[in-house]
Amino acid sequence: MTISLRKTAIAASVSLAALFAAVPMVFAQEAIFVLPAAEVGVPTYNVVATGNTNTGASLIYDTLTVQDADQSYHPGLAESWVEAPDGMSWIFTLKTGVKFHNGEPFNAAAAAAWLALYATTDNSYMTAAIDKIEAPDDVTLKLTMKYPEPNLLYNLSSSFMGVVEPKAYAAAGENYGVTVAVGTGPYKLESFTIGSETVLVRNEDYTWGSSLSENKGPAKIARITLREIPEDSTAFLELKTGGVDMLLGVATDFLGELAKEPTITSLTLPGQEVVYMPFNVTKAPFDDIKVRQAAALAVNQQEILDSVYGGVGSVANQFLISALPESKVAPEYLISYDPVKAAALLEEAGWVMGADGVRAKDGVPLSITLWTQSDSVFRRLTEVVQAELKAVGIASEITIFDSSMIRDQYKTGEQLAAVRSYFWNNADIVDWFFGGDRLGYPNISMFNDSKAEELRTKAMTGSANQAERIANFTAYHEYVLSQFPMAPIYQPVQNVGYNKDRVTMPAVIRGTSIGAATIMDMSVTE
Amino acid sequence: MLAYTIRRLLLLIPVFLAVSVIIFAIIHLIPGDPVDSLLKVGSGPEQRAIITARYGLDRPLYEQYFIWLGKLLSGDMGTAIVAKRPVLGLVMQAAPLSLQLSGLALLFSTVVGLFFGVVAALNRDRALDQVIMAGVLLGSTVPSFWLGLLLILAFAVELPWFPVSGARGWASLVLPVLTIGLGGTALVARVTRVAMTEAAQRDFVMLLHAKGMPPLRIQLRHVLRHALIPVVTILALRIGWVLGGAVTVEVVFARPGLGTLLIKSLNQHDYPVVQACLLMLAIAVMLGTLLGDILQAAMDPRVRAALQ
Amino acid sequence: MTAIWRAFATPKGSVAGLWLILLVGVALFAPLLTAFQYDVQNLKGAFQPPSAAHWLGTDEFGRDLLTRMMYGARTSLTVSSVAIGISVLAGMILGASAGYFGGWFDRAVTVIVDLTWSFPEILVALMLVAIIGPGVTGTMVAISVAYLAQFTRLTRAQIMAIKGEPYIEAARSLGGTDSHIVLHHLIPNALAPVLVSAMLATGDAIILEATLGFFGLGAQPPTPSWGGMMSSGTAQLFKAPWIILFPGLAVATTVIAINLYGDALIRALDIRARLRVA
Repeated sequence: MTISLRKTAIAASVSLAALFAAVPMVFAQEAIFVLPAAEVGVPTYNVVATGNTNTGASLIYDTLTVQDADQSYHPGLAESWVEAPDGMSWIFTLKTGVKFHNGEPFNAAAAAAWLALYATTDNSYMTAAIDKIEAPDDVTLKLTMKYPEPNLLYNLSSSFMGVVEPKAYAAAGENYGVTVAVGTGPYKLESFTIGSETVLVRNEDYTWGSSLSENKGPAKIARITLREIPEDSTAFLELKTGGVDMLLGVATDFLGELAKEPTITSLTLPGQEVVYMPFNVTKAPFDDIKVRQAAALAVNQQEILDSVYGGVGSVANQFLISALPESKVAPEYLISYDPVKAAALLEEAGWVMGADGVRAKDGVPLSITLWTQSDSVFRRLTEVVQAELKAVGIASEITIFDSSMIRDQYKTGEQLAAVRSYFWNNADIVDWFFGGDRLGYPNISMFNDSKAEELRTKAMTGSANQAERIANFTAYHEYVLSQFPMAPIYQPVQNVGYNKDRVTMPAVIRGTSIGAATIMDMSVTE
Repeated sequence: MLAYTIRRLLLLIPVFLAVSVIIFAIIHLIPGDPVDSLLKVGSGPEQRAIITARYGLDRPLYEQYFIWLGKLLSGDMGTAIVAKRPVLGLVMQAAPLSLQLSGLALLFSTVVGLFFGVVAALNRDRALDQVIMAGVLLGSTVPSFWLGLLLILAFAVELPWFPVSGARGWASLVLPVLTIGLGGTALVARVTRVAMTEAAQRDFVMLLHAKGMPPLRIQLRHVLRHALIPVVTILALRIGWVLGGAVTVEVVFARPGLGTLLIKSLNQHDYPVVQACLLMLAIAVMLGTLLGDILQAAMDPRVRAALQ
Repeated sequence: MTAIWRAFATPKGSVAGLWLILLVGVALFAPLLTAFQYDVQNLKGAFQPPSAAHWLGTDEFGRDLLTRMMYGARTSLTVSSVAIGISVLAGMILGASAGYFGGWFDRAVTVIVDLTWSFPEILVALMLVAIIGPGVTGTMVAISVAYLAQFTRLTRAQIMAIKGEPYIEAARSLGGTDSHIVLHHLIPNALAPVLVSAMLATGDAIILEATLGFFGLGAQPPTPSWGGMMSSGTAQLFKAPWIILFPGLAVATTVIAINLYGDALIRALDIRARLRVA
């Protein structure tokens, strides 16, 4: 807001606004970013336990390893690492001179205590392969494995494995991540208001920036406010009028408008998001695979891409982002729009078309509830899906939940179908959303199938190396697709929009999305 | 006057208790379990029971009510279940923003409404009167969120004079105050106009005219003073209305006041916060109404006489 | 009945009355008046500004906005008038019994009514929708409860004012039962002010319905309501302002018409003083 005021005072010195502009507060190097709509409503920065996090976590915490845009791994808090040839042990050599925000030293003992925290949380699968954690000296962390884990470096680079200060974690109890969050990252948490904003201040002691950023520390921007604005139009207007400096996710709807603005520019990064519609396989009518398949085939992915997303991004025909090798499933598993087949399947299943355009069986109409979250783009997409389902004779009633509440609603298991999306760039997301021990949420589909569980265990724990892991996960993914627990819809790209008069971006964006690596090299002009 | 004020204040105590019971009851009628958000993935009924017990949600309702009330009276509003902060802090952060907005909106309605009401009354049944009354009527018949959005479009986007949203600085107050204030203006203007017209027909006014006092002076010094009494009454009654308007308008302008907090907490099933917000709004309404009554008593010689 | 015609004969009353008649007609005969369907999407034709084919343009799903507004009038008018109807009926029964019987019942009703009366209607409605759940039924019940206090209070005041009149005494001395007196003497005489204020409240209820719709709590998609249209139009404010502009204008003109006609009725019935009793 300060920015808009300052501009106003110059541009319209005789306007009414000038009377109210008073003295604009000018903060040195202060920036306001808006989180993508999909990151709105994250309930905590407790990355150890939460199933959802946002860009702020990558600024508060460092990770042992970092992943670049080309999926390669680079040193983070770990300077180097060695994997035993049989994959049964790893040795990490840690950086020295690193301190947590509360002054505690970061060393192997702290890292070991932090890793141990995962065992009892929802994210335990991240460390499930680790049998024993040892810290023989301050800089050496030795992990002995139960089974080889080709995905370990990925896990360690994920924002869910930000290194948390174990003492502060224990002391804060349930409040950890909301009122307190202590990491070693380039920014300290000043305040966090759930669903509204996170204020971060620069960690002045920071000198251990990862190998992905030019600037090793401290960061150039002194203070960052991450705002959560569920309405894409409001976020866009804020950027346009100078109320904020950058949108970390621009709805594709606004790309055209954005291009017209002389001060605003945008850049596009590969997507990590998949929009899909899970079906509850335990409840009628979706306990019948034919109905699930029909509903999945009723979704016109191309129409949605063209009309709702303005042709930006791509259609989704399977569950993973297309950059992952495990997304290359055999063609017969791909799920694409086919209304004729959808109608045939429903006929086969005994659902006969009625005069009102809704199918019925034994006098019961084929009517479902369709859950979605309050963000406008989801509401709009869900209305399109509603019309597409209606076109094959499935009536649906939309129920909208608050973005930060809907995950709790899924835990009740009462959902029939939902329109939602996830952000992840690893095939283990199939395990996360369809694992039989996570019914409700994240397993919104309530999918619990013995064949799938078998393939899942093999994929998660039975892969000696990366090639085996890819093969195992592809097989698991293919089987899940064949059971139609969800309908794939759309794969967005990440559109970032920023005020180029204010923000200077590094020449090359490193990392898989705009996070600490990029923000370290970013600066704002006053 | 003092005795009257004290008596009215004492009367508020049972009213407050009744309101607290109603609010407590309403909250517990809302479906949805706040415990859901605290449960880990795959938790069973045992974990649910543990958490339910920790927040005292397993006790009988009347017991929960008295615990809540007892803590409330000692200034403890409990801890927000989702936001995990003392509720008092959340409410205290939000309340000033709402009071600022409502207070200014009420002031705006009063000043602007009185002005137009007087002008209309002085030009009764002439074209100016008709135009003013049509204008203020228009202001009161549009939904406030719609007016707010149009104001944003006009004065924050097309003419970038004011911020689109938020609560930083006075500039961010202008559009929200206008949005709520315009609705109230209509009411004040209408009541002023009618009251002025009626007061002008009273005997003492005739007498003043007969004495040869300038008409404009009579109108502004004597008639208006009498006309103010019903205006104050209406304003006191409308305090709740202004606060209600603030709820919607805060959401439109993403202003982090009580209304935004209420709606957000309602959506997140964060009951302790919803309870506290409703209670704060109820107290504001009660005190506002009381203030209006006292002001009215102080202004109206008949009421004053009756009290002595 | 004659008062309705007298109100209609005034210039303001006739304009307002005609608009209301037109609106009800459009709501009733919507399917005959438009070639489009309110729920059939045409995504390729989304965001069209007003044109000869689509007089008010199309929405974000390519649906004809005028058509949706006609059907939306159905929802908005039905919800607000049914809600106020329920509210008036319940309020008259409560208020009349309280006023007539007096005693502890009267005191209890008065306390509860006073408590809820000072509370903003939107808050009462929001809490009730949270309990009942969003949708047409939820909003209807919520709106009727939100206005219950107003009608109870008004009816009670009317009854109190006429209870002591000689003709009531006469009816009682002639052996009239309580229910006979309430139903045949008190309520008919209290009716005019209550009905007029019900009409004015219907205007407020339309705004309240739109506000609940704006919060996404009213009629659920694809059923159109003016509030719901504005709610989804908010996201398109910048791209297609007409989506939110026209439903808002519809609300405003309708509420103005109701107010103007209500004013004319008050004059025709000469009940301004009686309305102020409450």
